Amino acid sequence: MLQPYFQAMNDSDIAKFISESLWIYPLDQAIHLLFLALFAGSILILDIRLLGFGMREQSTAKVARDSTPWVILGFLGLVATGIPQLIQNAMREYYSDFFWIKMYVLPVALIYTFTVRRMVAQAEEGRVSPAVQKVVGLVSILLWFGGVTVPSRLIGLFT
Amino acid sequence: MAELLSPLRSAFEFVSNLENSIALRESQYVWSLFEVAHVVSMCLFAGLIIMMDLRLLGIGNMQTPFSQLQRRLFPWQMVGMTLSAITGLVLVFGDPMRFYSNVFFWMKMTLMAIASLNAMAFHYTTYFTVDTWDHKVPPFGAKLAGALGIGLWAFVIVAGRLIPYNWFQ
Repeated sequence: MLQPYFQAMNDSDIAKFISESLWIYPLDQAIHLLFLALFAGSILILDIRLLGFGMREQSTAKVARDSTPWVILGFLGLVATGIPQLIQNAMREYYSDFFWIKMYVLPVALIYTFTVRRMVAQAEEGRVSPAVQKVVGLVSILLWFGGVTVPSRLIGLFT
Repeated sequence: MAELLSPLRSAFEFVSNLENSIALRESQYVWSLFEVAHVVSMCLFAGLIIMMDLRLLGIGNMQTPFSQLQRRLFPWQMVGMTLSAITGLVLVFGDPMRFYSNVFFWMKMTLMAIASLNAMAFHYTTYFTVDTWDHKVPPFGAKLAGALGIGLWAFVIVAGRLIPYNWFQ
């Protein structure tokens, strides 16, 4: 269904422009990885706290409020540097199962982060049991790293 | 220079000829497993280093006293560092000659050494006065350590990502 759109991206001037440059694509990949580190850190600082480790003297609400701007900045950076890679490799991505796993899990992880995880983290202290917090933190880690990061790396390794 | 480096080259060549090394680079699945694990452990290590450095710069995680953040994240940073180091060493073990002749690999190793020195310098100087700025925006020395930390580790990551593009062989 989406194949014509991927083909159009593949044949676009932007794709040609990127592939004609020696360094745009590698540098874009490198900056993507920098935003990944920022994003991962800001996600993990709260997930580790939800699991009952890390900054335990601090409330989950404060850790959540402090980390959210960096989650958003990291995510926007990942999208901005991810799109050129998609355009450049459109047909490779289209035929990669790992790309589609990433694309299906990504919106789930995103919605989960800004609904369930956010509400649990921002709830008044004592209103959510530690067991629930642990599950919420663990699910976040599994969605983002198991469902998004790992398949992302596999796209390039198995083509 | 070439003569000076020849023992190093011999060591890399020796590892390269080991049966296990050959098996690793010829196994797409095992090799990929370590590539993936290296990225995920980098997320833990670099991610939490960045969280700490943002606090040092006075622009992130400001509701948590620095000493608490440092003390509580440190074990996780060490787990991330250990896993990154192990997975990285395995990858070098599996294809030593590819890394030996790669300028980005050696850049990465050098930058990592400098980044570690930066962390130690901070820990044995500015960190001693943490009581006076634990709840506030840190002083210049701490901000400098934070900026250098983010900058150096960022270049480590960039150099690492550029290893497959051996432009200057």
